[in-house]
Amino acid sequence: MKSFLTGFLVAIVIPPVLVFLFFRLGFADAQADVRPPTWESRVLFAAVHHSVARQAAGIVMPGAATEERLVRGGKLFMNGCAGCHGELGKPFGEDHTNYPRVPQLPHIGTQYTEPQIYLVVKHGVRMTAMSAYGRFYSEEELWSIAAFVRQIRNLPVGVQERILAKP
Amino acid sequence: MRRFLVGFLSGLVVLLLAAAIVVHFGWLDVSADVAIPGWLAHELSGSIHRSVIRQAGKLAPITPATEAQVIAGGKLFVNDCVGCHSEPGKPPSDFGATFYPPAPQFFQVGTRYTEAQIFFVAKHGIRRTGMGAQGESYSDEKLRLLAAFISRIRTLPLGAMELIHQKAQPAPETAVTPK
Repeated sequence: MKSFLTGFLVAIVIPPVLVFLFFRLGFADAQADVRPPTWESRVLFAAVHHSVARQAAGIVMPGAATEERLVRGGKLFMNGCAGCHGELGKPFGEDHTNYPRVPQLPHIGTQYTEPQIYLVVKHGVRMTAMSAYGRFYSEEELWSIAAFVRQIRNLPVGVQERILAKP
Repeated sequence: MRRFLVGFLSGLVVLLLAAAIVVHFGWLDVSADVAIPGWLAHELSGSIHRSVIRQAGKLAPITPATEAQVIAGGKLFVNDCVGCHSEPGKPPSDFGATFYPPAPQFFQVGTRYTEAQIFFVAKHGIRRTGMGAQGESYSDEKLRLLAAFISRIRTLPLGAMELIHQKAQPAPETAVTPK
């Protein structure tokens, strides 16, 4: 029994210590211009998605995703988000500069719901290039961005044209 | 020995299971606007520093920059980096503060990175931060100018910022041959 416990404790303590030392001694590469390994992306994207889903539970979008709202959100997106997330109506351009890669939303869409998108935009995502925009947008602006991003790949007919039209 | 091995394997399974549970139930807070414990933030920034020291050590040593090159680097910095890193003489950037980890405000806090290390970071970016790799948009030549400027950002010669803000001054730019 005593040697079982010793083995158990060694297994619990040693791996975290090794991981800590691996990072602390600088063995983890820093450069962001390489593609993250698939396993890392899977684990970290899952951690983000589950965390956001938990926090968004019980939050409901106030009001509906009307065309007006989609257009407003789309214009905000083109102004403030498209620089990193890709522009509506432009060909796909892979992100080579950030690690993890910035999702190119007009091309891949999103599996996040409106309340989840709202939370991500408002609070950002730790240890990624997604910063917290809560202090730069009003609540209504955040919700219209969320409504737009949710439907970015299947916008109602005519909405994309209205978003891209010059004022 | 067999009992030790069985215990070791059970320990590994429990460890992985615990990690999977934490991830699956979303217990890891990922909000960028909530601070993490200070010691952890310190360790994380230390791990980046050690990694850059290790990797940038392979670079050829940098020849000392002339004042004109520092000014040219400042022009690049004022154009492209101040949105997050803020401009010398100005208050810290609101936008840079909304990232986690926050963008360092070089003019306020300086930097512990050497010129060669700054070049490496600007060129390749830093994983799991908001610092993207700039190597696609800047030649090595321009990145060297940027590094020359940033490493001297707290000890700029008098009047440097005025020179940096002067429009259409071809003199310092011609000293540089773009890639």
